[in-house]
Amino acid sequence: MEKTTTAALAARGVSVSAEEREAWMERAMHMAKEALENGEVPVGCLMVYNNEVLAKGRNEVNQTKNATRHAEMVAIDQVLEWCHRFGRNPTEVFEHTVLYVTVEPCIMCAAALRLMKIPLVVYGCQNERFGGCGSVLDIASADLPNTGTPFKCIPGYQAEEAVEMLKIFYKQENPNAPKSKVRKKEGHKC
Amino acid sequence: MDRVLCPGEHGEENGSVMEHKTISWQIFPVLSDQHSQGVELVLAYAVPILDKKKTSRLVKEISAVYPLEGQQHLKRVRACTDKASPHPLEMLICLAKPGKEKAEGLHTLSELLPNKQVDCCGLGEPFLVHVPAHPPLTRMQFEEAKFHWPTAFHEDKYVTSALTGHLFSEEEKVKMQTYMKQAIWAAQQGSEKGMKAIGAVVVDPATETVLAVGHDCRSTSNPLLHATMVCIDLIAQGQGRGTYNFKSYPACTVSPLGNRDPSASKAIRAGTVRKFESRDDGLPYICTGYELYITSEPCVMCAMALVHSRIQRVFYGIASPDGALGTKYKIHTRQDLNHRFEVFRGILEDQCCSLVKDSQEDSQSSK
Repeated sequence: MEKTTTAALAARGVSVSAEEREAWMERAMHMAKEALENGEVPVGCLMVYNNEVLAKGRNEVNQTKNATRHAEMVAIDQVLEWCHRFGRNPTEVFEHTVLYVTVEPCIMCAAALRLMKIPLVVYGCQNERFGGCGSVLDIASADLPNTGTPFKCIPGYQAEEAVEMLKIFYKQENPNAPKSKVRKKEGHKC
Repeated sequence: MDRVLCPGEHGEENGSVMEHKTISWQIFPVLSDQHSQGVELVLAYAVPILDKKKTSRLVKEISAVYPLEGQQHLKRVRACTDKASPHPLEMLICLAKPGKEKAEGLHTLSELLPNKQVDCCGLGEPFLVHVPAHPPLTRMQFEEAKFHWPTAFHEDKYVTSALTGHLFSEEEKVKMQTYMKQAIWAAQQGSEKGMKAIGAVVVDPATETVLAVGHDCRSTSNPLLHATMVCIDLIAQGQGRGTYNFKSYPACTVSPLGNRDPSASKAIRAGTVRKFESRDDGLPYICTGYELYITSEPCVMCAMALVHSRIQRVFYGIASPDGALGTKYKIHTRQDLNHRFEVFRGILEDQCCSLVKDSQEDSQSSK
């Protein structure tokens, strides 16, 4: 499985060694930790092109009041900006960019990654609530001829630590989210 | 969907020739697979009741042995479907194990009801029947289900009225048409600027106001600015935030919400149930309670963006090949996501369709 993945990616001009993956994921984890310490959703992500970090995304939902500003979407915009600044063709850049993210991209982000034709996503833990690379839907490999191209996933990098951070975050209440009925009931009990 | 409100069906009642003429489209609810699929059948054992007088005792005893807990929708006893049959009634005993009956042959009554818990006097020999596996959710499913075995049906009046085209009054359909026309206008404005001809508007149904108008803004510099994503960011801008700058697209507009009277937004129209989740500052959470009118069915990215934004309803004109609100997925109906919303298709379908065709022809002729 691992071999075919690597071969397919090499054919598309993308190859990353296990050591490289480890190192980039270490950095993404560090970003997630920083986010948690600052009361933000603990998701860290990096977009790496030719061994260069083009984007470091973090969740900006509360700050922008736009629920689509997930770390991956923010990072995509940063890469687009980089392309604009350096006069590079975004299509060519994205087709050779690897996303490193601590949590499985959600359904929306997975579709966005397809539309950008990113070939490879390395991620940490599963996203049981919204995951778009298999947990809820498998948008990453689905047959959607009008929605970009499918991408490969390498999951499981420091998954336990990534889950632990999410758990800590969701224990704290998000003051910006709408009050759910369940939460209200819990509130009465306390 | 055997019967949908026909155009002009109520035209004489409201007497307006204009409305009669303008509304030439039909609205279809996009329901979950569970609602729209046919009836799934499973095999079960039934048995003839030869002595009618013993029915209530037999039902009691057999129900104690086989409570059929997952099949509470099935009635235990039915009148015999074959009029020439010597026995008047038939009773359900238990579900059959799939595949096993073929290999081992039919079970006998004493095999199905061993240990003498039931006095089988008055029963004939068991036979296999197909029974509906799940409770029917729509009247159509009910009609199909009861053909196989009598079934209880707790009709969801809302779903029935949606399926028969009676959910929206003619007056409401006129309003929908107005909103969709604005979306079409936006699509044309975008198309003139070289964008994909897709337009959308966000409406607050409580105040009947258009909050945002947007069109597809995707380009090489930002390929993800689909009309839905544009509208979501416009709403964020109306709430004082947002991310993108749409100054070069004057057709993309938003009305600010900052000074809106919070009591007005909580106004509840008669007959509508509105869960209003407001934040402490009186502003809604992103798109809570709002409706999106869009000329083409949203893609996976946009559909999930609408889940994240807590939209209440989406109305679209035509389906898209990879659409995620009916065509490839029904993301709005998924029980495993934290928000669900209603989706309707077909609003100004013809106009929305020619929008796409026109822009395709344009791009071909420009080549």
